[in-house]
Amino acid sequence: MSRWRYFLKRVALSVPVLFSVMTFLFIMLRLGPLSPVAARLGQNASGADVTRLREQLGLNDPLWQQYIDYVRDLMLFQGESWVVRAGQPIPEAIASVVPVTLWLGLWAIMLPLFIGIPLGFYAGLRPNTAGDYVASVSGILWLSMPNFWLAVMALAILRQADSGLFNWYTLGPNTQSIIGNPDFGFLTTTQLLGVIPVPTSFDVMAFATDIKLILPAALILGSASMAAELRIGRTAVLETVNSNYVEMAKAKGLKGRTIVWKHIFRNALVPLIPIITNEAFILIGGSVIIEYVFNLNGIGRLYFDALVQGDLPLAGSLVFLFTLVIIFLNIVQDLLYTIIDPRVSYQQ
Amino acid sequence: MSDIGLDTDEEFVEQSLRDRIRENPRPALVWLAGAFVLVALEFGRILDGLLAFGAAGKFLFDGLASVPSALQGNVESALAPISTDTVGTLLGALVHDAIALAMLFVVAIFLQGYLPRRLDEVLGREMGRRRRIYAERLLLTGLLAVAAVLLAYTPVGAIVNGEISAWVRVVEILSDLPTLTSREVIPNMGHRTPDGGWDGTFLGLSPAWAWAIRFALVWVYAFAAFGWTWKGFNVYRSYYREADWTPRDDTIRRFKSQYWGLFGLFVVFGFVVLAAFAPAISPVGIQEHVYEPYDNEFEYLNDDGQIETVTHGQANLYSRSNGQNTVSPMSYDDFDRWMPLGTTPTGQSMLTHLSYGARTSLVIALTAVGLGVIIAVTLSLLTAYYKGLLDVLVVITSDTIISVPVLVLVMLLAVIFQESNHWLAEPMDGGLLLALILGFAYWPGMWRSIRGPSLQVSEEEWVDAAKTYGQTPRNIMRKHMAPYVLSYIMIYASLLLGGIIITVSALSFLGLGISEPTPEWGRLISDGRQFIATDSRHVSTISGIAIALVVLGFNALGDGIRDAIDPEADVGDVSAGGGG
Repeated sequence: MSRWRYFLKRVALSVPVLFSVMTFLFIMLRLGPLSPVAARLGQNASGADVTRLREQLGLNDPLWQQYIDYVRDLMLFQGESWVVRAGQPIPEAIASVVPVTLWLGLWAIMLPLFIGIPLGFYAGLRPNTAGDYVASVSGILWLSMPNFWLAVMALAILRQADSGLFNWYTLGPNTQSIIGNPDFGFLTTTQLLGVIPVPTSFDVMAFATDIKLILPAALILGSASMAAELRIGRTAVLETVNSNYVEMAKAKGLKGRTIVWKHIFRNALVPLIPIITNEAFILIGGSVIIEYVFNLNGIGRLYFDALVQGDLPLAGSLVFLFTLVIIFLNIVQDLLYTIIDPRVSYQQ
Repeated sequence: MSDIGLDTDEEFVEQSLRDRIRENPRPALVWLAGAFVLVALEFGRILDGLLAFGAAGKFLFDGLASVPSALQGNVESALAPISTDTVGTLLGALVHDAIALAMLFVVAIFLQGYLPRRLDEVLGREMGRRRRIYAERLLLTGLLAVAAVLLAYTPVGAIVNGEISAWVRVVEILSDLPTLTSREVIPNMGHRTPDGGWDGTFLGLSPAWAWAIRFALVWVYAFAAFGWTWKGFNVYRSYYREADWTPRDDTIRRFKSQYWGLFGLFVVFGFVVLAAFAPAISPVGIQEHVYEPYDNEFEYLNDDGQIETVTHGQANLYSRSNGQNTVSPMSYDDFDRWMPLGTTPTGQSMLTHLSYGARTSLVIALTAVGLGVIIAVTLSLLTAYYKGLLDVLVVITSDTIISVPVLVLVMLLAVIFQESNHWLAEPMDGGLLLALILGFAYWPGMWRSIRGPSLQVSEEEWVDAAKTYGQTPRNIMRKHMAPYVLSYIMIYASLLLGGIIITVSALSFLGLGISEPTPEWGRLISDGRQFIATDSRHVSTISGIAIALVVLGFNALGDGIRDAIDPEADVGDVSAGGGG
């Protein structure tokens, strides 16, 4: 099988997966133990309200009709929120909170990428030194501490305004509160030709405030993947350092810097690809908790509220959105593999 | 040990373990005597454990037994709008019986291998292998159905029930026997006497000392039991095992030389002891202290020098660690109850919560991993053996589950089942439900991790050989494929345990996992989070450190097991994390 055919096969396989996710959601939300009517009116509702709502939700239609309607609504992101944003169309509700999560996710990816991987490579290039031990042990410790606990502790420490060491409120740009939503006012844009947004001015202070608001949350959200990248990066470097082509390069008399950058670094990146793409799982799952603790109005928080308040259509759409992101990232991962490392993809 | 040339069959029969022990009984008897002492010291507690297992089994059985009638109800209500009552009832009854028979048939498949005689021998005539097997299964199904009908619709059921409950009562009475580490033998709940001494505690010591003695005894006992088990394995290895060497010996030797893995084993052992001996370790009993605080009273010496009685519930109101008022670790509360780890924001003992919370986490994690392993191994054997369409179907199913992030999926399912007051959400305040959901969410990962190895083993020559000898697929999978796959799944499962503990506590932290009053560590963190900046910081701190330590231990143990079983094994980095 050529590797492009393998790749196409993987892409094709994601279609039935997508449909089976929708079917699963349909079964759980429509036919599951919690009926939509009960979710909306409460367990003990009865009488005319129930009959009207059943009619309105289309629960009296034949099952296949309900299923098709459900799938169509999901695919087009139609439907309305019931409780959390009562009456608001779902795409609007999601769009209004997306920037916060993207901002959080961006930093939560950047930090581990630029801290975890360099630390891992540092540890791998100097195995069994004090620096290696410190990096490895702190990575393992970091991985064992639950995110939500770290978040709670971080908040407690940052809130101690005058601890003597530092004062988070006045460090850098002044903020009234530790937690809060970034407002993204740092970039003013105009629409060139009516469509293309062009930045006209850039407010450094507002930018710094936004970063400051998100930094603790992002650092904790990225912590698990940072530790994972550190561990995998260290092993990968150790393996590459001991491989024949590095010996060969040394024998040819290449400079240490060239060996590290051209031969070790590039090859050690390969096993890191799945770790980096798998960060999406951690970011999406973790954002629910982090946004809850740091009181950020992002997608994760919206999902949590939708669940707790029984907003079934919103919760279902969000799960579907998460799944879309994950499936898309899996395809990207396969594509990267197909391009970078032809050995990996089509073995099985 | 056997010469191929000899002609009598007896020479080839392996000596059973019993024969080997009979030949040289001394080491076994010495070991058994020690084990007997250990069991006798904690007889009541062990029976308690057995009763809990029995109750769990009964719950499972009842749940399965209710499946046919539940489906019958579903069918009847689904048919109600489009058919007459009689047809609906009739179809419902048919569905009920068909499902019941199908379930019994599955049971029969498993029992069939244990039939004492083959059917063709009984009937005395030749029949094809396949036909014989199916005839046997059907026959067994029929027998089981008759037994089920007898139990359900005739007095026989009542008699059997009465018999079982009589025996359960006997075990219950025996399980109340005091044990070495029980609260009755070394009581630590007592009150000050006006002259400065203590009344009601062990030997009149202060509650702190009485508790410390009991606590120390628990660990002495636990380490003795651990050592005795290890000793038993060594006795078996050096006296009774036929082979001088097995690959397992190398695994153990490798494990013993790894400090990282040993550290993990030590932490996990401590965690298991904390969970198993929760009633002995907690300074106040959970029943009177947490579950029924207003129905149980105790005595204390009030400020006027008088002995007064107060319920736990009332006392708890004055012992809360909620910022303004703190009972910190290693101190007494106002009612002279000893609180080694302080109190929770509701005024209950932290240590009671911590040890019973360990129990909750352990039961959930083990159930979830056990369930996941069973599903993953079964599917991996089936897909590797049959391949084709089945493989594709399982790939799609597992991809479906994997493409929803675990925490998101688990939250969705937990909320749906909890909101609808489903009966599965009852046991352990949602613990069983969570275990089932986690098992469901984690099996695809396990299946993926062993898919490669099981495909490999299915291509091996010995599997082909077994096929040509006419062994049944079930036996080939069980005897020739499963052992090879099991070592991989063991590595993966042990690495997963820490992650599951984090997920459970994260859900409880969000208020979606284990609800009150069942203790859970994540909920402790959530309860104490607003008091971290105050004197009551111990609530969140201690429980958080406990989680981190246990997860670290499980990760280390998993790494150790991986390096011991197969240093080259590549099962990826599954340990912990997962967004918790």
